[in-house]
Amino acid sequence: MDERLEKALDFSNFMVTLNNQKRFLQESYEQDIIHYTNGCQFTVNKELICFCKIMLLQEQDSIVLIDDNSRPLEIENLEEFYNTIMSKYFEASNTYLVEYTKLTKTRNIEKMVEL
Amino acid sequence: MTKGVVVVARNNKSLDYIKQATFLADKVKQHLDLPTSVITDSTEYLYSKKYDSKFDNIIPIVWKSEDMIDGETLLSKSELHNNRRYHDGTVSSKELQFKNGARTGVYDVTPYDETLLIDTDVLIMNDIYKYCFEQSHNFLIYDKSYDLAGFRNPNEFQYISDTGVKFYWATIVFFRKAEENKIFFDLLNHIQDNWYHYRTIFQIPTVLYRNDHAFSIAIHIMNGYQSGNFSMPMPGKLFYTTDKDILWQVKNDKPFFLLEKQDYFGEYTAALWNNHNIHVMNKFSLERYIDEVWNE
Repeated sequence: MDERLEKALDFSNFMVTLNNQKRFLQESYEQDIIHYTNGCQFTVNKELICFCKIMLLQEQDSIVLIDDNSRPLEIENLEEFYNTIMSKYFEASNTYLVEYTKLTKTRNIEKMVEL
Repeated sequence: MTKGVVVVARNNKSLDYIKQATFLADKVKQHLDLPTSVITDSTEYLYSKKYDSKFDNIIPIVWKSEDMIDGETLLSKSELHNNRRYHDGTVSSKELQFKNGARTGVYDVTPYDETLLIDTDVLIMNDIYKYCFEQSHNFLIYDKSYDLAGFRNPNEFQYISDTGVKFYWATIVFFRKAEENKIFFDLLNHIQDNWYHYRTIFQIPTVLYRNDHAFSIAIHIMNGYQSGNFSMPMPGKLFYTTDKDILWQVKNDKPFFLLEKQDYFGEYTAALWNNHNIHVMNKFSLERYIDEVWNE
């Protein structure tokens, strides 16, 4: 095989694997930011965090939130809930960053999949 | 309230579902700290392999009504004798018996008030299913799924046919003993008994009876023949690889797969998954992996 084509095909394999691993990291992150509490499920995103913070600034102790499956839940201790979701968000985001950085620095498939 | 996992394991001439169920029971204990009961027609084999200590209950499938003990045995229906092709990667496959007829009877024999029904080919990697027992809805099932390969057409896992109803995965189901769930499982039995009729009405092109399709039809009926809230989603997404992919090994609790490569028959892409539960449809490679783990 022409050496130029062989190199291009090697690189193509590398890119397919890299893109897959990036997709998996994103999927993993989307699972890691889900917070389960009192039978309800909340995806911890910037909107939820901001809303809770605004409610705290309005000196609300408890609020009603609608979860990912449209179920209403009274959050009795808003401050505790806010701290928990913040911690969840930072932990998941930091893990995503670390893993993503590690992945993008990898230059061959073997290291990418830890072979 | 008693809680536990139920798994249906029925061997055919090439696949050892009992082995898979035993491995699953270990993982359930490790991650969920729950007991596992097994429904099987291979009890002698199970005892001969000394797998029985792994299970909380062993519920035999019996063949005659006079052998039936209510709640302790499951009477086999006249089997549909489905055959299907099981792949082991893209280039190897076998036509084998697909004994999937017992799932609809699980409600009547589960020893638990709260049951997590899991297929034998699910790799439990974390404790996310604990959440099922904490929430209040009586019936949970997956409707969203994610194919690791990324390029295959997901339509067959979104609707049961091109003109059919929404698809639900019978792979992992949570239910409580409740009146509406009794009605649901009785309906499932009725659908299974009259499969030819229902597959025609719901325009399913294949003859093969699939629990996913029966569950999807039953949920649609329970919702009043429309979308509704009879079922709620299981936590997270159902991640899966098909039997065209190969589970190669698990490293540091991360499964390493060879995924079917788009447009290159017989070639694969290396993929390292994370610690989220995953449905591994290639049962041959799952069994090779279990052997490797047990031999270590």
